[in-house]
Amino acid sequence: MPSIEQPQQRQFNPYSENGGTILAIAGADFSVIAGDTRQSEGYSIQTRYAPKVFRLTDRAVLAVNGFAADGNMFVKKVRQRLEWYRHAHAKDMPLRAIARLIQTMLYARRFFPFYVYNILGGIEEDGTGAVYSFDPVGSYEREACRAAGAAQSLVQPFLDNQIYFKNQLPAPGTSHPAHLPLSTVLSLVIDSFTSATERHIEVGDGLEIYIVFSKGSTSLQGLASVRGLQEVTTTDDGERVFVIRRELKKD
Amino acid sequence: MFLTRSEYDRGVNTFSPEGRLFQVEYAIEAIKLGSTTVGIRTPEGVVLGVEKRVQSPLLESSSIEKIMEIDAHLGCAMSGLTADARTMIDHARVTAQNHAFTYDERIKVESVTQAVCDLALRFGESVHDEDAMMSRPFGVALLIAGIDELGPQLYHTDPSGTFVRYDAKAIGSGSEAAQSELQDKWHKQITLQEAQILTLRVLKQVMEEKLDQHNVQLAQVTPTKGFEILDETRLQEVIEAM
Amino acid sequence: MDHFPTNWGRPRNDAYDAYGTYPIAQRPYNGPKDAFAQGIQHTQQPIVTGTSVLALKYKDGVMLAADNLASYGSLARFKDIQRLQAIGAHTVIGAGGDMSDFQYIQAMLDELIIDEFTAQDGHTLGPAEIHEYLAQVMYARRSKMNPLWNAILVGGVKDGKRFLSFVDLLGTTYSASTLATGYGAHIALPLLRTAVEGKEDILNEEEAHKILEQSMKVLYYRDARSIDKYQVATITAEGVSISETRHLETSWSFAEGIRGYGAQTQ
Repeated sequence: MPSIEQPQQRQFNPYSENGGTILAIAGADFSVIAGDTRQSEGYSIQTRYAPKVFRLTDRAVLAVNGFAADGNMFVKKVRQRLEWYRHAHAKDMPLRAIARLIQTMLYARRFFPFYVYNILGGIEEDGTGAVYSFDPVGSYEREACRAAGAAQSLVQPFLDNQIYFKNQLPAPGTSHPAHLPLSTVLSLVIDSFTSATERHIEVGDGLEIYIVFSKGSTSLQGLASVRGLQEVTTTDDGERVFVIRRELKKD
Repeated sequence: MFLTRSEYDRGVNTFSPEGRLFQVEYAIEAIKLGSTTVGIRTPEGVVLGVEKRVQSPLLESSSIEKIMEIDAHLGCAMSGLTADARTMIDHARVTAQNHAFTYDERIKVESVTQAVCDLALRFGESVHDEDAMMSRPFGVALLIAGIDELGPQLYHTDPSGTFVRYDAKAIGSGSEAAQSELQDKWHKQITLQEAQILTLRVLKQVMEEKLDQHNVQLAQVTPTKGFEILDETRLQEVIEAM
Repeated sequence: MDHFPTNWGRPRNDAYDAYGTYPIAQRPYNGPKDAFAQGIQHTQQPIVTGTSVLALKYKDGVMLAADNLASYGSLARFKDIQRLQAIGAHTVIGAGGDMSDFQYIQAMLDELIIDEFTAQDGHTLGPAEIHEYLAQVMYARRSKMNPLWNAILVGGVKDGKRFLSFVDLLGTTYSASTLATGYGAHIALPLLRTAVEGKEDILNEEEAHKILEQSMKVLYYRDARSIDKYQVATITAEGVSISETRHLETSWSFAEGIRGYGAQTQ
């Protein structure tokens, strides 16, 4: 409600919202980070292929969602910081350090925020799979799974139910597993996106699923029969990164 | 007039025709006037030891501060113009805290060492009409001890900004004798306690006064307790064990 | 996502932010007034504007089209301006939005090309480099709340690779085998996609040109800020060429038969 005392001002709006959805799930010794590839503004599809998920190092993958221009700029700046770190400290930045760095970078712009929801997935120094989620001004926490973006409200309740087993009782004498196997996780990711594509107009076109494995992860075997798989590992440090590309409905 | 050096030792940022920066070399000489300082790396941690020259019986020896904490996992011992070290350690502390704030991890020993050495050659630097921040090179050398993911490490820095990693290093007035003693006695499997004793033995050899708990100081960095300066009781124990 | 069923199926109101994400809700202002607030004026709206630019990839390269009109509001103010501009030897940019900002961009990029030429270091800027540079400039300006009010297509061919990308006043970028700015993104783009997608490596120059002409014609029928004079830029491995102004043949006789509004009663 505009107040009466102030003169009416037309102001340039430096933000836009470009749709799409991202999600990440942590396994015991792997992490899965996925996003659709549609970029839209209002009811218009700008392009059917604009990646929102980026490999940062061989143990960290970052998904960005929200205002695309801010997202791309943010990823560019994070990568620049990772390279400076590599030069200064002669090692790749560990995952939790990247998470903290992202917080400081986001909070530095507290009063002109990057309008971007970040999800960082990868492998911690101790070899466990991890997911960090952020709000646009840098609040962050480590979680087992997180969805963000246009269809967050469709996907997150599904993940809460299927990953955290919310509203499910274990069979008598059993308990819910703390971590799910890779095949189950991949099925959940694909189902999440096909469902979001059905019910949300801003989701669809293509799906990119990044998978990061810790050193000597036994979950690697689960990939043997996966369609559309490509390895994108760059070092021989032990961690390995793969990407699965799939089509989603384009209507 | 110019007895030992040429006139090229006047400016802090003028090379001599032989390609030397005399002021930096003199600064390195200044360290040799400082009290002896020893550092020893062991698989269990790093030990630092300094001699405190008590010139007068009226001097309160506990007020001599030649070993300082940089961060919980980093310590530093010095020799030379110790006042100069304040600037450097201040910088090291800020760098370490900034790193912890920005990256949620402990800074590497080599990285703080590099950060301190970045300061060393900033003398004579100024922006057009502004005064230079530093007028001369630092007259102090540091032994930086710490533990990170690469294990216990000991670094030596000098006024030229050069830093080198050592298993054991002595600096200051008695450094030549001390260093050859370290070279004799240091071995790969040396324990922390052996290193403490060796540090004191080396200091004892080069000190004029009789070594006691008031005229030496010991500190160590260990994986469990991090940086700590040994208090008088513990120091006394080591002296007795020696 | 809108959770209120009563809103479903209705046109959304993009001016209203249901979740209050930006800007933070306004409160009455009682603080001191800044007498110099009007001192620095930033562009708040475009003045003399160009409408759509269309572009597509085809077998031999990239083709762009834009009409020759610069409007002043609803007035067809300048009817012979050029909205396509070659930048270097491999690239053409086409702009919609504020024409003075576009002229500034042209001057800036021309200078960039001259600087690069003067260096004589064996590098030449291709379409990808020019697009990246332009995107950085556009994003930097939006971040200063002083945007260059344009939507720009950058097309070109270099080292045997076709390039086609978009950048706008917010610094938003994207690429696809067919692109359109402004009204064209709503009216022409679906036509272009149908005609081009999957046939990028098959369409020849003549067919590509036909598709663009057809789309420009549809735009001229529907977009009140368009004109029936346009130019086509073609970029192939051989280089850049921008055509003379062409005329769109249209027929308006069907208008006579329209009934139901206006002056006619029957």
